[in-house]
Parts: sequence; C-alpha cells; structure tokens
Amino acid sequence: MTIDLGRKLGIRSMIYVAGEPVPFFWPMRAFIHHNPLHGLEHLPFEQAVRRGEDLFHARGFLKRRQYQDYLRQGRVDATALTAEISAFCRDLPEPHGLDWRELLLTLVTETPEPTTEFWRLASAADILDVLHGKPLADAPGQLETIQAELGGQLLGDRPVYEAVDGLYCTRIASDLDELVVNICLDFFDEGHSVWEMPERDGGLFRAWRSLTQRNRWPSRRNRRLKEILAISDEPEVIIAHAMERLKVPEQRWMGYFSRELSRLHGWAGFIRWRSQAKHYYWQRRYPADLVDLLAVRLTLTLALLAEAQRPDRACDAEALAELIEQAPEATYLRHERGQGRALPRLAQQLEETLARGDRARIQAFFRDYVRAKREAEALHIIRHGQRLAERLGRPDLLSALAPGELEQLLDGLRRFERHEGMIWLAAMEGRAIDDLLKGVRLEAEAARPKRPFVQALFCIDTRSERIRRRLEGIGDYQTYGIAGFFGVPISFMELGKGSEQHLCPVLLTPKNLVIEMSCEAPPDQTALTALEKAMHELKESVLTPFVTVEAIGLLFGLDMVGKTVAPRGYHRWRNRLHHHKPLSHLLLDKLTEHQADSIIRAAQRAIIVKAVELELGLSPEQITDDLVRALRETALGPKDAEHADLSEQLCEASRAVLNLPDKGAAFLKRLRRAYRINRDFAHRQIEQLSRIGFTLDEQANYVLQALKSIGLVRGFSRFVLLIGHGSASQNNPYESALDCGACGGAHGLTNARVLAQMANNPRVRKRLQGRGLVIADDSWFLPAFHNTTTDEISLHDLERLPPSHVIYLDRLRSGLIAAARLCAQERIPTLNGPAAAPNPASAALTAQRNALDWSQVRPEWGLSGNAYFIIARRQLTRGLNLEGRAFLHSYDYREDPKRRLLENILTGPLVVGQWINMEHYFSTVDNEAFGSGSKVYHNVAGNFGVMTGNQSDLRTGLPAQTVLKNGEPYHQPMRLITLIQAPFEHARKAIEAVTSVKYLVLNHWIRILVLDPESQRISLYEGDEWAHQISRGEVPSPENRSSPPPPGRGPGGGSTTEKNASP
Amino acid sequence: MELVVAAFFLGFFPFSMPFMLAFRRLPAPWGQAAALLIWPQVGLWALAQAPSLPDGFVAWGLASALLYGFRALTLRDLTLWIGFIALSSWGLFPLLIQHLNGPPPAMQLLGFTLPLVLLVFLGDELRQRFGAAFAGLPGGLAQPLPRLSALFAVTLLAVLATPLFPAFFTLLGALLGASASMPLFTLWALAIWLIWSWAGARLTQGFLIGPYLGCASADLSLARGWLYAAALIGLAGAGIAFAGGWL
Repeated sequence: MTIDLGRKLGIRSMIYVAGEPVPFFWPMRAFIHHNPLHGLEHLPFEQAVRRGEDLFHARGFLKRRQYQDYLRQGRVDATALTAEISAFCRDLPEPHGLDWRELLLTLVTETPEPTTEFWRLASAADILDVLHGKPLADAPGQLETIQAELGGQLLGDRPVYEAVDGLYCTRIASDLDELVVNICLDFFDEGHSVWEMPERDGGLFRAWRSLTQRNRWPSRRNRRLKEILAISDEPEVIIAHAMERLKVPEQRWMGYFSRELSRLHGWAGFIRWRSQAKHYYWQRRYPADLVDLLAVRLTLTLALLAEAQRPDRACDAEALAELIEQAPEATYLRHERGQGRALPRLAQQLEETLARGDRARIQAFFRDYVRAKREAEALHIIRHGQRLAERLGRPDLLSALAPGELEQLLDGLRRFERHEGMIWLAAMEGRAIDDLLKGVRLEAEAARPKRPFVQALFCIDTRSERIRRRLEGIGDYQTYGIAGFFGVPISFMELGKGSEQHLCPVLLTPKNLVIEMSCEAPPDQTALTALEKAMHELKESVLTPFVTVEAIGLLFGLDMVGKTVAPRGYHRWRNRLHHHKPLSHLLLDKLTEHQADSIIRAAQRAIIVKAVELELGLSPEQITDDLVRALRETALGPKDAEHADLSEQLCEASRAVLNLPDKGAAFLKRLRRAYRINRDFAHRQIEQLSRIGFTLDEQANYVLQALKSIGLVRGFSRFVLLIGHGSASQNNPYESALDCGACGGAHGLTNARVLAQMANNPRVRKRLQGRGLVIADDSWFLPAFHNTTTDEISLHDLERLPPSHVIYLDRLRSGLIAAARLCAQERIPTLNGPAAAPNPASAALTAQRNALDWSQVRPEWGLSGNAYFIIARRQLTRGLNLEGRAFLHSYDYREDPKRRLLENILTGPLVVGQWINMEHYFSTVDNEAFGSGSKVYHNVAGNFGVMTGNQSDLRTGLPAQTVLKNGEPYHQPMRLITLIQAPFEHARKAIEAVTSVKYLVLNHWIRILVLDPESQRISLYEGDEWAHQISRGEVPSPENRSSPPPPGRGPGGGSTTEKNASP
Repeated sequence: MELVVAAFFLGFFPFSMPFMLAFRRLPAPWGQAAALLIWPQVGLWALAQAPSLPDGFVAWGLASALLYGFRALTLRDLTLWIGFIALSSWGLFPLLIQHLNGPPPAMQLLGFTLPLVLLVFLGDELRQRFGAAFAGLPGGLAQPLPRLSALFAVTLLAVLATPLFPAFFTLLGALLGASASMPLFTLWALAIWLIWSWAGARLTQGFLIGPYLGCASADLSLARGWLYAAALIGLAGAGIAFAGGWL
C-alpha cells in the first residue's frame, strides 16, 4: 500500500497539531517546571482547564471539601466568595422567590459534596414524583436522549478500543499502554541497558517493526502484527491504513490523535520534546517523533482489537455507530457496566441479562433499569436538596416548587457546580491579594547615611525570600532579586565533562560557551576511584545478582547502614576519601585567532601523546616533542604525503614494537579517523572555539543590564554578592526540580561566577563608566552559593579576592551563618514539625541531615507555596513576612524609561514563574493525573524520567511529597498574583508589548496588579478590564465591576473603570 | 443413600443449585449466615454415616470444588462469591475427612464456614452503604473506609485458608496425610486452594484497590470494628489451638 506525498505530509501536520496540547517533557536530569496545559494557553483559563480535564481525565480544581477547609482556616475571603456568587447569580431566574445568593452560599460552605455530580437521567418531574411518593411516569424521548449521549461518549474523538473496553469489559487500552511503554523503554534507553534494542538508528517505528517481524513466537497477535506491518515500512502509510480499518471518518482524525497521544502523555511529551531538540545527542543517534509513536500504537490497536473480536462485538467506529442505532438498550446497559456506573442493587441482574443475550429480556430490563436509575438519582438529589433546605431554614423548599421552578433550580445548581471551582479560586486569590496589599510598604525609602556593608543579589526563587529577610534583619545588608542566571545565558562545559550544559531558561538558546579549566595538576586516579568505577560497572551487569551478592553484598550493607543511621557523620567520612574538585577558572574572554590556534595545537598534542602511549606502547620519556610535531603535521597534511621519515622516527623510538613498516601508516589512519587529528575537524574546532567567551562589549552589556534591571546603579558596597542557588539531596530523581529553573535546572553558581568575573574586570568597568555606570574601585563582586536545603551560603572564588577585603570576610561569614540558621529555624518546623527546631543551631543540623538522608522523601519544600511575583523595589516588601511564597524581582522604573528592562522581566522571569506556579497548581489539584504520585513507588526509567511501579507512563509533574502533606494540599493552588510597582501606563504598555504575557493576562492565567508609586493607586486586571482603587484594603469586587466591555478590549484596551472607592 | 444426601448438602454439582437459589433469596445477613452454618453440617453428618467413600465420590467432590472455584473467579457480586467459595470448600471434604486429625470434623468444617459468615456480615455493611456488595461499585474502598477495608481484607484471608486461621491447618494436615495415599487428589486439592487465592485477589482488587468514585460514606464505627476484629482474633486463636495448643 502506498500513499502520495501530499497525504503523508497532511497526516504529519495533523499529528503535529494534535500533539500541541501534550506538554513537553524534559529529561529529569535538568528538570523544567512547566505548565501541563501550556498547549491550551491560547484558551481562557477556565476553558483550558475543562479541556484539560477531558483530555487527561483529570480534575482541574480541588474538591469542595478542601476549599471549605481553606475557608475555615481563613485562606478564602468570605466577602469575595459572596461577591463571586452574587456575580454568578445575576442572570439566574429566581424560582418561587428563592434567594440564589443565600442558597448557593449555603451550598458551597455547608455541604461537603456536590449535588448534581451523578445527575444524568432524572427530570424535575421525576424528582417531584419521588418526593410526593408517586410512581415514576414514562419519560418520552428517553431512548433518543440516551442514544445521543452514547453517541457522544462512544464515538467522537474517543479511541475505538476505549469504547470497546467500556462495552465489553476487555482490557485493550491497558494492554496497549503496557506494550507501548515496553517499546518506549527499549527504544529510548540512554545507555542504561546492557542489551540494547537493535536498529534504533532507523527510528522508533522502523526499529520496532524490524524486531516484530523477526519475532517467532507463534501467537495470533504476532501473526496479525506481521500482516499489518507487511503493508509498508512508512509510519504514515500504516496510520492511514489503521484509521481506515477502524473506519474513523477523516474529519475526526485530529481529535482522535489528540486523545491517543494524551493516554501516555508523559511518553508523548518526551517524544515531542525530543523530536524538536536538534542538539540532543540521543535524538540525533536514534530519532523518533509522534508519527512513529502513533504508527506503533495504531498497529498494536488493530492487533489487539482483532484478538478481542467476537461475532457479536462492534470493534470499529462504524459498527459502534450501528450498534447504538440498532441496539441502544443493550449498548446502554453495557456502557453502564463498563463505566462502573451501574446501580449496585441491579448490577448482578444486569450482568446476567446481558450474558443471556435475549433481546426482549434486555429491553424489558432496560426499562426497569432506567426507571430505577431515575429514581435513585431523584432520591440522591432530594436527600441533598432537603439537607440544603434545612440549612436554609426552609425545609419545604423542594415540595413548594412547581416542576418548572424545580427545573430552573436544578439547572442553576448544575451550572453553578460546573463553575464552582473558579469561584473558590477567585475568592482564595482575593484573600491572598488582600494580605499582600495590607503588608506592602508604600513609604519611600529613607536616604542612607552610608553604603551598606553588603549588597546581595539573590535569585527571584521563592526560597530566597526567607534568607533575604533574615539577612536584612541581622545587619546592614541590602538585598536584590534577579533571575537566577543573572541575565547571562551561557553554555557551560564543566571541568572533566565532555558535553555542554545550557545554564539559562529553556526559552533561550545561549550563544556563548564558557569553559571551566583547572588551576591544579591532574590528580592520579586513586584506588578508591578505580574501585568505585568497578562497583558501578558491576551494578549494571546482568550477571551480578547471581554471582556477587554473597561475595560483596556486605560492603553495600555497610554503606546502607552508615547512610541510614548516621548520614551526616558517614558522609563526612566518605567525603574525605573522595578527590575534591580542584580550584578552577572560567574562560570568559574571547579568544584571539592565535590563542584559538594554540589551544587546538595543545589539545592535539595531548591527544597524540595519549594515542602513542596507548596504541604504540611507548613510555612518556620516549615520546619526544619532535615526534609529536611530526605526527601532528603529517596527520593534518594531505593524505598521500610521504611519511617514510615519520616511520623512521617511530622506529627509532621503539624498534621492538615498530618492526613492521605498515605500523606507521595504520597509526596515522587511526589518528585521523578515531582521534580526529585532521584538517576538517580542526576547522570545526576553530568554529567551536569562536563560541567561547564574550567580547568586552558583551560583558559590559550584561553587567549593565543586570544591574540596571534591579535598579542597582549607584552606591555600590564593598561586597556585592552574586548568590546562585541549588539544592542538595540523596537518592532523589527530582533533585534537579529543586535547583534553579532559570539555569535550566542546574545550580546557579556558575552564572554567578561568570557575572562576578565580568563585573570585576577593570576593562569592563572602564566601558561601563563610559556608559554612565560607575562602580566604586573597592567594590568587589563575589560569587556565592545558597544551598536551599540547608540554607547555607558559601563564598567562592575567594582566591581572587583583593587583600583589602580579606579582613571583612569574618564579619561577612558570621552574618551569612547567622542568617542561614535563623532561616532554617523558620523553615524546619514546616518539614519536620515544631519540635525539630527548638533553636537555630539544631534547626541547621536538622536541615543538614535532611540533605544527606537517603530515605528523606522531602528534603525541602522547594517552590511549594508559591503565590506571588513581585516586580518592585525591595523597599515595598522589606520586612514583610511572605513565608517564602513570593518571587521577588527587584525593579526600579526610574532606571527604565523605555520599559525595556520591564519587558525583559516579563518575557523571561515572569513566564518561568508562571510555569512553576501552574505546575504546582495542577500537581496539587490532581496529583495522580497531573503530578507524579508518591515518590515511594517511583522507578527511574532510562535516565530521563520516572515511572510508578515497574511500568507506567512517564510521570510528569511534581510528586505528592512536594505539594501534599498527609494527603491534603500543602501548596495552596492559586494562579500567580503578579504585582508591578511602576506607573500604570508604564506597566500597561510593557504588558501590551510582550505578546505572550499579554495573552496570559487576557486569558486569566495570571492575576496582575499594578501599584503606581506616584499616585499610590492600585489597579487590578479583573474580568476583562482594569479596575482602579485609590486606597489599599479594597480589592475590587465583582459586584462593583462595570458590565463587561465590548470585545477586543484587553489589558491595553484602556478601559480604566474608576470604581467608587471608600476612604 | 448417605452419599446422595452428602452430595446434596455438600453442594456437589448439580446439587449446588438449590443451595444457591435459597442462599440468594434468604435475608442477609442472618438468614444467609444460618444457611452457611447449618446446610453443610447435614452433608457432613451424612458423609460420616457412609460406610465408605469411593474414589469416584471423592473425585466428584473435587471436580465440583474446582468448578465452583473457577466460577468464583469471574464473580463480582459478593453474595454469589461467598456461596460459590463455600460450595468449593465443602467439595473438598470427602477427601479431607479421611485424613483429619485433631478436633471433630464438624468443628473443622466450621473453620471454613465461620469466616464466610463474617464476610456475609461485612457484605451487609457494604449493602447498607452502597445498595449492594458488588466489586467495583464503587471500588477503591481502602482510602475512604479504612476500617471496613482492613477487616474485609483480613476476613478474606481467613476465607482463603491462610495461616493463622483454622482452615489452613485443616487443609495442611489433611493434605499432608493424603499425599502418600492419594497423591493425585492431593494435587487437585492444592490447585483448588490456589484458585481460591486467585479469586480472593480479584475480589480484593475490585473492592479495595483503585480510585474511589462513590459518594461520601461513613466507615465502620470503632465498636463494630472491634467486634469484627474480636471474631477474627478468636478464629485465629482457634487455629493456633487446633494446630498444636497454646504452648
């Protein structure tokens, strides 16, 4: 079978678009917080949540009971809740003089369960009949309604096998997922397995196809698979064939593909990310994309459906449609059974009736069943309704209503309960906004008599808020918040590593390469390192469990006991045995041509020396400079150059080894091919080296931008600390999630070192002077590292510190230690309970233990609790205890007349903050679907993800231990509340200029406030317009909003409805 | 004649039908409990009166036990499940009775039926809350109803003749005794025992595991929970006592 190119491309683009709602899944080595509904951000928040609920079979809001708990704790503004409900009720007809506001308020605050959740069949007339003890009348048109509902549920975008499972209690969907997971584990392995899947370089589909066609197991399924795969080796052809066999109309293909891909959205997200990550080594070697994945899934679908096929079963879309048309009663009953919605007291009878297969009996039972179901639903609603009526003080409410009025009531309740989540959310956010506005300081900063002792730049990460507050509290420290990569996106090659790491937000692609070079001589490989290597290799061997457990298992036992019983002491002892990372320098300056050439020569010489040692067996003393030079020049020269004299030199070096004349030629060939000492590669190396470093202008630009963006342009302290952050934990696949998201999920120390080195460069300072930024001669930029698990701050690159500053180090270190301990004392009770932190010192010890304990599933709370993003001068929030819930980005609008800096903050840090916020939100509201479940059941898959148990979808999102505590939410799921301190028009124009943020605001993915420092006015974007208020404590309520503006108005639309403010 | 009576009251196929018909219709829980306690005792008495137990009779019993065990695998209604497991266990008695030692056979039969009686009462708790005791409707009871779920799981273990419950020791002792003289029948009985475990696992999966999709429901009260627990402890104690005494 073949299809033309146009059709293939059409299928490809359909799959590409269908995969959009599936979020990317980055390898967990560099965990990236992301919005799981990022692909739906073009929709308004509520709509996107509904779509996400449908696609991912998930919940988009907390349960009512949980919101009620928040209300009791004071975390929901009761006034705002009432106001939101009032706004909802505005257009609802009021039956029988009913006060909707009172009824709905009572409903949400006093009844723990929704009323209309299980309501499908019963009508208002049914409810009244049951209420008055009358038998239910026949409902005309009931069958047609049921047929329509079945059509919507079984046909549409739903995969055929899901419908088959739902009707016949087969397990095709779970079997299919299991098979696909196995295939993905085999194909996407990144060097973990000893036995690798063959032919992976042909792509996912072709590799699997080849393997399947060689599978000799004589099963019906395998035969069927081979028949299908014999049709073509092109995935698009197989997809077209499968969809035609499933008889799904082509106009439904896109929706169908979306549903297919969302079944294993972790794997699909990983494949989707991988297919566009052109730099990713494993993708270059073993390519795969969503087309391959779908081809595999659909092939297996056909085979599994063929297995499940029986004469009386509908196994394609057309047959299903026919079944609904011709046997709606049986279909409905089967669907009830398959969905787990059957009435319990009739469940056994339902099974027996369906098993008998007699049409007349089925139809008779159907009538009885539907009647019983209507009655049960009516009873359920009556019970809830009466409870509600009693609470309202109107016990006769239901019976007093006419059928039409009851219908209105139920309809209103149903609409309300669908919208309820948004109402709670808005009320919760209202309280959070109110709390923030009550605490901010509007008074201007007093003039300082002298410069502070230290100015410290922290990442905007929420965990910095506590330590900043503590630091400011213990001495003359001035702190600032800046994106964790300090505005310098770099590609970093760490000492001892052969690959680059991007240390910047994933939205950026760094152009400059920074290399870390050691200042010390290379260490000898110690015996312990060799032993460690051997142990590691043993662990990966298939034979090890059978052979070595008794022999060396005890060694691992000692390790286990040490790590468990006394983690701090044991790690201290272990660290003494390991070779520490040597002092290093970062290569930041651009290389001249001469320097680049020298580096390449040096590298080539080093490689040649190693090659001669390894391959020719010569000792270092025998390898002369002349020999190396001759080898190098010959290897780089034309291939047919004479090298007789070279052989002569080689022979002279070792006659015993190099007796054969061909040895020289063979060695040269290997030098060129395997060791890549050749002209082409040398040219590529020169190109790579040109990426190294920054020009002087670039360095000055980055320093200027970083300092101006936070408003630090004068009054520099003696010490300007650049504090990158990271975490420390053991046995934690999510370690990277606790590191700096702005640095691509890595530690922020390297970026801190880079900016510090730039800012300390006298030539850079001279350039900055020319641009109006004068840094005092005695100001020294010092990189530091904030360990967010222990709160310790360690100083780095001290060997570069000017002697004049050394005498102040003691005071600095004392301050940092004190702040760290106070911070630990504040933080540890939330983790280990109040008893774990009786004083700062023991809190610090507990924090250290958390970092070293391999059984600790929650070494820190990370970014859990995040709620605010504040873009303002520090004066606004100084001293305000934000409980580690705020991203704090320093910003001074006076230094940014053209709004460029604000736009940069909105484009980068705010978007990253929104991703983090949304990831936490969805992982909290439904940890099983959007989060990754409990860490206890996690298994690392292929070095890039985790699964639950031995086999499952790749778990996306955050684990339960990060966002839940004792099964209840610890993180309060709200949208990010963003506060910008700037004149209103200044902020509005900046938002308008950044399209991505503009639509985040328009579609209500974030809440945004502007605090105008000149007029002290607070503006809140609510509904579809800005609402202004004159004083604090008056968060605009929905009741006081004007009616929605005409379409097309947005955050820049200029609708600035002045509210009547109370004094 | 005695054998016919025994076959009827021990529910050998096809004589299981009257028992099952009656069992389904009897009021839960007391009626069903009484049926479980009394019905097989009649069969056992008849079995004891028989002058001999031909191999064919034993095989008939084992075949019925196997059939009912398999049948229980697919059942989701708890009442039916209890009934079929009961029949499956009674079908073993022609084999077991020839190799029993320790307490009298009637008491040892109670070791099989008492856990089933407990399960009937637990099933009634489920019926009061959800309208029926049907696996999967709703499932996932472990989290919302932890007390009831825990008791359900332990009672199920007692039904499946796991240690420390008396049925385990009855089966173990009898099958060890029969292994020399009737090896094939012993293996047959072991296979049936395994099938019970499988059926029990499926039932547990249907009732206790997975997401809970039902309405809020009250768990067992502490007092009732302790009552059931006391019964289970008593059963376990009896098992230990029968196995070799308290010391």
